[in-house]
Amino acid sequence: MTLLAGLRLDHPVLNASGTLDAIAARDVLGDATLGAAAHVTKTIFPDARPGNPSPRIAETAGGMLNSIGLPGPGIAAFIDDVLPRTRTCVGVTPVIVSIGGESVSDYERLAALLDGVPGVAALELNLSCPNIESGCISIGADVAETLLVTRRVRATTALPLLVKLSPSVSDIVALAAAAVDGGADAVTLTNTARGLAVRVDTGRSVLGGPGGGLSGPPLRPLALAAVYAVRVALGVDIVGVGGVDSLATAAELLAAGATAVAVGTATFRDPTTISRIAAALAPPTSIEAR
Amino acid sequence: MREPVEVAVLGTEALGAYTLVRVAGAGIDVGSPGQFAMALDPDAAGYLARPVGVFRLEDGEVAMLVDPAHRVGGLGGARRLRLLGPLGHGYDLTAAEPASTLLVAGGIGITVLPGVPLAIGGRPRMLAAFRLPTQAAATALVDADTRVVLAPASVLDALELAAITLVLGAGPTGLMHALAERCAAAGVACQVALEAPMGCGFGACYGCAVELDGATARLCLEGPVVDARRLAVAR
Ligand SMILES: Cc1cc2nc3c(=O)[nH]c(=O)nc-3n(C[C@H](O)[C@H](O)[C@H](O)COP(=O)(O)O)c2cc1C
Ligand code: FES
Repeated sequence: MTLLAGLRLDHPVLNASGTLDAIAARDVLGDATLGAAAHVTKTIFPDARPGNPSPRIAETAGGMLNSIGLPGPGIAAFIDDVLPRTRTCVGVTPVIVSIGGESVSDYERLAALLDGVPGVAALELNLSCPNIESGCISIGADVAETLLVTRRVRATTALPLLVKLSPSVSDIVALAAAAVDGGADAVTLTNTARGLAVRVDTGRSVLGGPGGGLSGPPLRPLALAAVYAVRVALGVDIVGVGGVDSLATAAELLAAGATAVAVGTATFRDPTTISRIAAALAPPTSIEAR
Repeated sequence: MREPVEVAVLGTEALGAYTLVRVAGAGIDVGSPGQFAMALDPDAAGYLARPVGVFRLEDGEVAMLVDPAHRVGGLGGARRLRLLGPLGHGYDLTAAEPASTLLVAGGIGITVLPGVPLAIGGRPRMLAAFRLPTQAAATALVDADTRVVLAPASVLDALELAAITLVLGAGPTGLMHALAERCAAAGVACQVALEAPMGCGFGACYGCAVELDGATARLCLEGPVVDARRLAVAR
């Protein structure tokens, strides 16, 4: 059993936000959570968003870049339609809703709307998406704004709060400390790193957006450094995210101080990744072993 | 839960400018024409799986055609592959009659068509467009009455729809849009297999966004084969 931000989880492996659509996974693969102990939703914004132009993904040495741009239906359709269907798909698995906004008051509003909605086990504040123009990472790169947004959301809801930060910041410990001061129960380290791939023939970005977020194994050392630095400085629960694709790489983040890990890009490569790691970390107890 | 199946690569050979990758066929469901699989070479440096058309050869082996000039071409060097599939929606062939069905392939798009003649019980006509003469060797994979069109000639100029009731297209987005328009103008049913970068194949990454019915959709879930009228609306 793993205790994360007050949530009792069967094991310490989650999916990373934006890398698993439970409804589609149920329809296509026959398994909505792919074995995650809690299901983390794609970041939802106040209004519907179309996302960024194509191409949205590109492979990079050993990993990938994305500029998806957080497409989504907006909070009203999420609460009325997507969340109930997601809950039906994931069954008893706790649902952590990731929220994003362009201003502090956006986050506050989303938290107020989600507070009390059946089936929301916790909120994750995405303060770290590199692929949108305003809000999000511009809040999460600033200590005072991070403190303010966490405090305001904390005052709005009693739900467990996770704050997700970017590795592309100068002082991750100061930002994590601000989140904790503001009332966060856990920090999620990290989102994708700010990256870029350039077409030599045009001099433009390979992706449709101006840059992209780096994920997969190339991100792993950055996530490890962030987790370790925050663990040494603060006594807060940490979800380690970045390049986890095996028992060994999950164990490395846990050893660096993560309370749990989340798997993103590796699920695209192999949808059995989460369940394989979970089984290796928490083998089902046999009758003999009890 | 559906999982990727690991298969041994039996052989790799050049088919003109393309590469045919043959794998052991036992236990592989290739699905219906137009569906796809995500193929991962676990020994290669590339991290993500690639979307490929998978078809059965006469001897029961299963094959994929890849373009060495593209990302997916890296599969040509694989010793083993992990295949997740069949995925997505293929062609709806319930109304297809060989004599009145026309296949229109652009480049490597032809890789989703080899299963069509068997599925419709006869040889359809096919127009196959390529940039290079050496790419035309790929037409050997489709048992059809084939006419090859080489750049700079346009496949649309060669399009003859008089005796045709169903067009099945596969190829680059621009060509598929133009084909959709021509078929709409002629009142001929048309289904097109579209292409998009795919990171997962099961709706998780949102990388495969295309415009359908005027809105953004994930091609791996809604396609890759779509009724061409869904493109015409988007224009
Ligand atoms: C295609 C894609 C979409 C993502 N969408 C989101 C998102 O909506 N919200 C979020 O907080 N993080 C998002 N992320 C970041 C992941 O949750 C994760 O933090 C990051 O990818 C690092 O983990 P990984 O190396 O295991 O992928 C996304 C990542 C990818 C690759
Ligand atoms: S390929 Fe990932 S969502 Fe379609």
